[in-house]
Amino acid sequence: MIAAYVVNGVKAGLVAGVVFGLLVALVANPLVAFAEERAQVEHEGATADGHDHGSGDLEGHDHAGGDAGGHDHASGGLPAIVSNGVSVLSGVLWGVFLGVAGFGIAFYVLEPIVPGSGSVRSYVFGGAGFLTASVAPWFVFPPAPPGVVRSLDPNTATLLYCGAVAAGAVASVAGMYAHDRLRDARGRLTAGVGAVLPWALFVAGAVAVAGVPTVPVPGGMSATLATGLAGLVVFGQALTWLVLAGAHARFHDSSGASAGPTDTGTVAGSTADDVPAGSP
Amino acid sequence: MTANTVHDRLALARTTLTPTQVISVLLAVAALGFTLVLLQDPTAHEAMHNFRHAAGVVCH
Repeated sequence: MIAAYVVNGVKAGLVAGVVFGLLVALVANPLVAFAEERAQVEHEGATADGHDHGSGDLEGHDHAGGDAGGHDHASGGLPAIVSNGVSVLSGVLWGVFLGVAGFGIAFYVLEPIVPGSGSVRSYVFGGAGFLTASVAPWFVFPPAPPGVVRSLDPNTATLLYCGAVAAGAVASVAGMYAHDRLRDARGRLTAGVGAVLPWALFVAGAVAVAGVPTVPVPGGMSATLATGLAGLVVFGQALTWLVLAGAHARFHDSSGASAGPTDTGTVAGSTADDVPAGSP
Repeated sequence: MTANTVHDRLALARTTLTPTQVISVLLAVAALGFTLVLLQDPTAHEAMHNFRHAAGVVCH
């Protein structure tokens, strides 16, 4: 039953969300606060000692006003405990969101063309999800440490962000489709090449348009700290997708029984609400 | 094995799900995604600041 896919997506999402929430609580919250402090201190000190990180700072001030005050995050209106708590909760919900959208809905539709079989499919799909939802937008907006201010206004940035995710999704699905078509006709090797080709094109296109993604270093922050933060972001998302895929592989009945058109309500183990009212 | 093409899956979804079910799930997912990734309201944005930095979805 289709509902089983959504339920599995939510369950896997909760598991991954709790893991990612813990990462936010134990690592990201203190680290972002620390980096923010550094960026702020350096920001204030920068004008005095005349370092040449002026360009970044200048761009910062013509940033669209809708976000005004948003740059003072750490010391802003909300007490740290609130923003830390909301961030952890958001981390859990992020896992649920990826679980439902990816493994609940997209996986239900795409399962027949996801390469592999059994639980391998969950991991392959998780990898494709990581590429689509995380890596694709990073080509346009590389993970930025606190203190970096983008020159784009929020609406353009949102459009670009969604466009990058959509392009990544097209590349991922095209790769799966090519793999599915080529596997039987041309063998595994050709199918493998066909599977990665759309993503290679996406990467080439993204680099041609937006340049090689580089981690922006806010004025004064050490490059090591900025790179470390970006590494944490990549690690966190890869971990989230890995846990999602692992949990999904456990929950999912990969025999395909739950997607059969003939099993609506009659399959053993289906829940009571699948059974039509009045059936024996 | 049954329902083993993408086309079958979509056909199955069309016949077994009501439009209301489809719309409610899609709306819930869209609302969750919008709140987490795109919401720019300063207070909400600020509260989720650490999360967005951790997930790499900073859009400001």
